[in-house]
Amino acid sequence: MKDHNATGCSCSGEAKKACTVNRRQFLFASGATTFAVMVAMPTRHGQAEQVPALVSTYPRKLIGKLSELEQDVPVEFYYPDEGDYSDSILVKTGVESGGGIGPQKDVVAFNLTCTHQGGSMYDSYKPEHKVLGPCPLHLSTYDVTRHGILVSGQAYQSLPQVLLELDGDDIYAVGMFGLIYGRYDNLIA
Amino acid sequence: MATPYYVPETNVPLPPKGAEVISTACDYCIVACGYKVYRWPVTAKPGGPTADENAFGEDFPVAPLGAWVAPNQHNIVLHKGQPHHVVIIPDKDTQYVNTDGDSSLRGGCIAQKCYNPQTPTRDRLKTPLMRIYGTLMPVPWDLALDVAAEVGNHVIAKHGTNAYGVKTFSYQYIENTYAISKYALRHINTANFTFHDTPSDVTSTPGFRDAGFDNFGPSYEDWRDAETLLVCGTDPYETKTILYTQWMMKGMQNGQKEIYLIPRSSAGVAHAVKMGGLHIDVLPGTDLLVVNAIARVIVENGWEDSDWIKKWVNNKWESSSGFGQGTRNTPWQWRTTWGKFQTKGFEDWKEWLLSQDEFAPETAAEMAEIDVQKIYTAAEWLAKPKADGTRPKTSVMIEKGFYWSNNTGNTQAISALGIICGCGGRPGQVIGRAGGHQRGGVKGGKYPRNKSPEKLPGRRRRAMDTDRYLIAGHTRMAHVIGTTWIQSMCGSQQLADKFEELTVRNPHQIASFDKQEMIDTLKARADSGGMVVINQDIYLQDPIGNRYADIVFPAATWGEEDFLRANGERRLRLYQKFYDAPGAAKPDWWIIAQLAQRMGFDGFDWQNSNEVAEEAVRFTRGSRKDFHAVYRLAKKEGKGLHQKVREFGTDGVQCPVMLDADGVTLIETKRLHDTTRELPDTGAAGADVFNKKLTHFNSQTGKCNIQKSPWGLFSDYWEWLKPNKEEGELWATSGRINERWQSGFDDRRRPYIVQRWPENWVEIHPDDAAERGIESGDYVMVYSERVPGNKTTLLGVEGDDFQFSKLMENGHIELTKAAITAVAMVTPAIKKSVVYMDFLHMQQPANALEGRIVDWISGNYNYKMGVAKLRKLGPSPYKTSFRTMSFAPRDIA
Repeated sequence: MKDHNATGCSCSGEAKKACTVNRRQFLFASGATTFAVMVAMPTRHGQAEQVPALVSTYPRKLIGKLSELEQDVPVEFYYPDEGDYSDSILVKTGVESGGGIGPQKDVVAFNLTCTHQGGSMYDSYKPEHKVLGPCPLHLSTYDVTRHGILVSGQAYQSLPQVLLELDGDDIYAVGMFGLIYGRYDNLIA
Repeated sequence: MATPYYVPETNVPLPPKGAEVISTACDYCIVACGYKVYRWPVTAKPGGPTADENAFGEDFPVAPLGAWVAPNQHNIVLHKGQPHHVVIIPDKDTQYVNTDGDSSLRGGCIAQKCYNPQTPTRDRLKTPLMRIYGTLMPVPWDLALDVAAEVGNHVIAKHGTNAYGVKTFSYQYIENTYAISKYALRHINTANFTFHDTPSDVTSTPGFRDAGFDNFGPSYEDWRDAETLLVCGTDPYETKTILYTQWMMKGMQNGQKEIYLIPRSSAGVAHAVKMGGLHIDVLPGTDLLVVNAIARVIVENGWEDSDWIKKWVNNKWESSSGFGQGTRNTPWQWRTTWGKFQTKGFEDWKEWLLSQDEFAPETAAEMAEIDVQKIYTAAEWLAKPKADGTRPKTSVMIEKGFYWSNNTGNTQAISALGIICGCGGRPGQVIGRAGGHQRGGVKGGKYPRNKSPEKLPGRRRRAMDTDRYLIAGHTRMAHVIGTTWIQSMCGSQQLADKFEELTVRNPHQIASFDKQEMIDTLKARADSGGMVVINQDIYLQDPIGNRYADIVFPAATWGEEDFLRANGERRLRLYQKFYDAPGAAKPDWWIIAQLAQRMGFDGFDWQNSNEVAEEAVRFTRGSRKDFHAVYRLAKKEGKGLHQKVREFGTDGVQCPVMLDADGVTLIETKRLHDTTRELPDTGAAGADVFNKKLTHFNSQTGKCNIQKSPWGLFSDYWEWLKPNKEEGELWATSGRINERWQSGFDDRRRPYIVQRWPENWVEIHPDDAAERGIESGDYVMVYSERVPGNKTTLLGVEGDDFQFSKLMENGHIELTKAAITAVAMVTPAIKKSVVYMDFLHMQQPANALEGRIVDWISGNYNYKMGVAKLRKLGPSPYKTSFRTMSFAPRDIA
């Protein structure tokens, strides 16, 4: 599990499936023991059963290739569908980032709609600070190296993070962490 | 308490059609945005995503600024004993305050405030507690109240009324503040009384009071409509967000130029600079010098508003006439008798200003360590007439970073600058406070100043410094209501030491099952020179409740009772009850009433909060939040006062409010001191009068007093306090952070906020950090070997007896040490040689570093003035973890 997480594995078949589950688990928890605290599940075994269920309905979507990413040059994509507020970006920050994939664990993806009042964060990435924002509506900023946590501003939660998987050179979006602005359920556009 | 780990939800229930909609306003900052609570039973089906399926009448996904529900805006509460969903979002339809349905992060997540045993709010106080055998144990109301009342009466009878100290919030709803002050001031009549934010019950802004300015005269649209806005000692984006995002930002879009006088940059300052504004990054305590230097440039160029001054500034004879409200024993009079402040009008003031060497721009800039050009630029923007000869519409906003640095001096200086720029009495040309907490104070009794033991040089007494009185051992019973007291006051650790000695370390501790023995033990405590502590709050605070209190009363709060309160533009709303208070918790007015009745006081037999409000409203008459007319109208219509205010919803009613001649139309007040306002010829009806402050200033003539602001009254303290650079000292100052409110009593129970700010932190400039080997994310020890504190209650005889250097010389100041840990945040947003912390973290209180020295003219603390050294302790877990904290700069524009 450790190796899969660290490198973005090249497993296939059943091994791949197992690896994917672990990847998802890793992305959610960023430290398995803390996750046990978060949802008050007593055993490690319990988590492994619970966690994939949370993301099982998200589509697995190819959104880019690791080799084509340039540091600090965001790539846009839509996720989890192409409906309202699905605009997202994929960015290689150049520094290890929470939930990051790739050899440097520095490739992350986020929804681009401010979770305060729905402003578009399009074209607001600040490479020198690894921050998205300020939102043009009310100036919120988010740290993309730390799971999209609010740096300063008025949002009610972090920017929703798009969970990623690496399959060889292919980057897949596989789930979301946090409710997308404007929606009452991430999967209903 | 919440742990710093937070898992966001990815869906949220929507309120169904037919959900009850209850209007309220936010509990937190001064702005008090309007909110709507949507409530429906958990047994009912939630709403659906189409407009005909939900209470908003909106199709999901909603548009930007729409009625979106973030998961943090939903909760489950008990209403009449039955579980209900609540969704609480800003009122999307309001035309006032939070236009565009905007909200801050604080209010935006207010649904998380509600008690829900499945959330970290589970530790709300639910029963009274008494410390028996050293442990706080649940007891019934009767036992706790009986013991408190008996001991209270004993302390008053045996040790005098001043031995019973009341330290209370000043704002947590009109019904409560009225009941508390009626109890403390009218009935007990103690001078040992003050509010949560000051050691003495005195005005926060002495200079405004002398000049004739109300703190909250302006309306929010004035802050938008100014062309040049000088903002002193605050970033409203961080601390009264919607004032910034809905009013000031719109002003800037219309070309408003904003000037910030503050040592630190944050998002609002950075955005203003990006929009063409100016940041004057003064050193702590040097504001007066810079303000007067700006004034000097203005008068040297003849840019002052001469027409305004001619018409609205007192001349020699007007200044002297009745100054001090007719009697000698008034706050105004004693401050001015030495001739240190009072002038013979504009020319006299100007002569004084030009004769003070320290106000030369180059000198002031050097002392404040700023670019002198900023003084010239500010002067031009504030006062230089335009090419067509018209003047810029200028307004001045101040807040605590400014008026708690040199309380009297800064507020005098800014008043004079405001006056010469023509601020104060016209639309878009105003001067006032931006505000901190909301305005929920109505006094049910008069402060007995003549019972205060503090006598100032000359002829009058000053309200008691209750901290100093306690440290001197005179307070035998401390009744603490909704404030942390210790961490909120300067020199916190010194204060805590004394609490420890008087309570925990006193030998008289309850060790009995018998009520009379409990009472006798606490009486013996008081008689032995110790102190009994009773504490009313919604959570058990440490140490005031958790460690020091003998009796704890559980309070009901926002959403759990109908309450009235006004905001920063004097807008009064009903904050409605929409769910059951936890356990046996009761509103503060009820607790006070029960205690008062047991102590034998009459007039405390209210049956509900509306009855308290209907009694309190009389005491608002003539004040900035006079709403007595609403009460009379309600009675005329056969309604209760609360019922009538409820009809105004989130719009509320802007005070002072009067009845028109027809006896049914309410006349509201957009701004005070409005010299452009035309009042009806027929006059106010019935019991109303047209108060002077509606169209004139709060002075003896209705015109402004232009006053001097001598640096010399403060400079000895500033020079003494100034960091010793060779020793590695830095200025240590503090303030609010956007995401947290007051002590964080709610925020500590919000997992997302705890994730963002798990601990106190200290902003340090990269140069200062490099010298000390400190990086962002390191734990540092922030400490001081010289925290000065006023030692004993004293009498002043000679004119300068209370001046800091004289107090020092005469042995009235003691120096103590203080140390707090914090997580370093290295950023050029803070001025070099200054560090900045959150002002009120319970575990790591920044106030421990600040000098416990009252402003010797006003009696307020200068909370923002302290020094500290920083030592690296090692990395914190947040340095390398990804979930918690962020060290990205907060001033990205």
